[in-house]
Amino acid sequence: MIGKLIRTDFMKIRRKGIWFLAILGPFGVVALQMVNYGLRKDWFIQQDTFSWFYYVRNVSAFTPFALILGIVILASFMASIENETNAWKQLIALPVSKWSVYLSKYTTIGLLLVFATCLLTVFSLGFGVLLGLGGEIPYLDLIRYCFYPLFAALPILGLQLWIALVFQNQGFPITIGVFGVIMSYMAYFLPDWLIWKWPSLDNQWDEPLLNVCMGLVVGLGIYLFGMLDFIRRDVK
Amino acid sequence: MEYIVETKKITKRFGKEYAVEALDLKIPKGEIYGFLGPNGAGKTTTIRMLLGLMRPTLGTIQIFGKDLKRERIEVLKKVGSLVENPSYYPHLTAYENLEALRKIYGISKKRIDEVLEIVSLLDVANKKVKGFSLGMKQRLGIAASLLNSPELLILDEPTNGLDPSGIIEIRNLIKSLSVEEGMTILISSHLLSEIDQIANNVGIISKGKLIFQDSIDVMRKQSQNKISFKVDDCEKVWRFLISSGIKADFSEDTISMLEQNDENVATVVRLLVENGFSIYRVEEEKRSLEDTFLQMTAEERVI
Ligand SMILES: Nc1ncnc2c1ncn2[C@@H]1O[C@H](COP(=O)(O)OP(=O)(O)O)[C@@H](O)[C@H]1O
Ligand SMILES: [Mg+2]
Repeated sequence: MIGKLIRTDFMKIRRKGIWFLAILGPFGVVALQMVNYGLRKDWFIQQDTFSWFYYVRNVSAFTPFALILGIVILASFMASIENETNAWKQLIALPVSKWSVYLSKYTTIGLLLVFATCLLTVFSLGFGVLLGLGGEIPYLDLIRYCFYPLFAALPILGLQLWIALVFQNQGFPITIGVFGVIMSYMAYFLPDWLIWKWPSLDNQWDEPLLNVCMGLVVGLGIYLFGMLDFIRRDVK
Repeated sequence: MEYIVETKKITKRFGKEYAVEALDLKIPKGEIYGFLGPNGAGKTTTIRMLLGLMRPTLGTIQIFGKDLKRERIEVLKKVGSLVENPSYYPHLTAYENLEALRKIYGISKKRIDEVLEIVSLLDVANKKVKGFSLGMKQRLGIAASLLNSPELLILDEPTNGLDPSGIIEIRNLIKSLSVEEGMTILISSHLLSEIDQIANNVGIISKGKLIFQDSIDVMRKQSQNKISFKVDDCEKVWRFLISSGIKADFSEDTISMLEQNDENVATVVRLLVENGFSIYRVEEEKRSLEDTFLQMTAEERVI
């Protein structure tokens, strides 16, 4: 059942520029490094930081920003597809359970984000090779720094999807989302318990894996909360 | 009689307002049930509850003899619906819109062409729904409701916003679905004329309460023209008429009979005069079905 729903959710995002967005996001993140290294390559060499190690961390500095923005847009987008002609009443009157409808939306966004993250990995790798960075390519490090933020951002995904589905008008979810994007920009100054800090992989113990674990646990909690609330609500 | 839909005291409250109150709906198998009521009476709210979109504040719903709350998915497999305005994805084609539903039902792709054919949208199957007229969108909504070959079809004001020819088209379609497929159909409307032309059962809802539920023939009978006699002693006259084998009702100061031909009226008058009763007035009371409907819903409004 859930597989069928996910396939229909992917059908519904056709011709809406969503795939383009999923490509643009990671491309944008790497493009910023193109500018960065284009302008300051000599400086990096001078500082002895022209290496894969620093490159991977430079790329990941902008990942949370793009990731959270992507989540906000995708969540509100998934909601507005059904809201536009109030297709909820048609969807929920099908022989499907409400939890699977919710899970399908969540999974669809999740898969799009995984797709974008894979591209980010490939683009980063490609540009790194192009730059001729010194030393062996640290594949594992690269993959880690691309995918860890995604897991750490699951609570934000849960939150955004929930409020996007609860509010008919997407003004409020987008406002909260933009607030989150701005917060992620100041991640360094935020307390460790704020979910918008987590995708930066920064914490006082310097242990990125902690953010990933927190992301998975709290993300599941928020997901369940949002889903139960969605099930409880009447469909207009 | 076998009922496809049977509700027990279903009630829906929004805040302090009761949108639907203690409804006992009974929809017989294979019939076209007209669900009639003025705007805001609670038709859509009732239909939402029948589809499991809204949870009743109180009461239970049985469809196909199954409890909706417990067996919602099983029930919905055999129900088709169109609630209020049609829902669709404007950036998808008509075909893709139906394909998104078909995948979930898990039925054959052939069925999409069949339903598009039924509502005559086959030639625009690959056009985006964005550009469709209201009537075409409505027909697409009906096609969607037929996709799973339902045993129970629920249509909420399906002719809203259609032009007269579109209305006739849909009416004919509903009739043929009932006759040919034996579908049980619930159709709501705020227009009596619409229900009058297709339904064989009627439920009238006003201010959230069901104020009439029976076959449309019963409602017609209530709406027949009446002849009323004002006489000196009603009860005595009534007893006399009954004993003479003439059907009549009496209330306060009038005797009334369902419409009779002129000869019969003359006979009654002659009988009364010959037996020494005084007749003050003989009047004809004209009542159309529309009058009955208006009166029913108006009475409720006064309370
Ligand atoms: N989601 C809702 N929240 C609050 N009130 C509602 C809601 N839906 C319907 N109502 C109210 O319930 C009443 C019945 O509405 P509805 O079922 O749409 O009537 P109908 O379909 O017969 O025109 C109206 O007074 C309407 O304002
Ligand atoms: Mg309505």
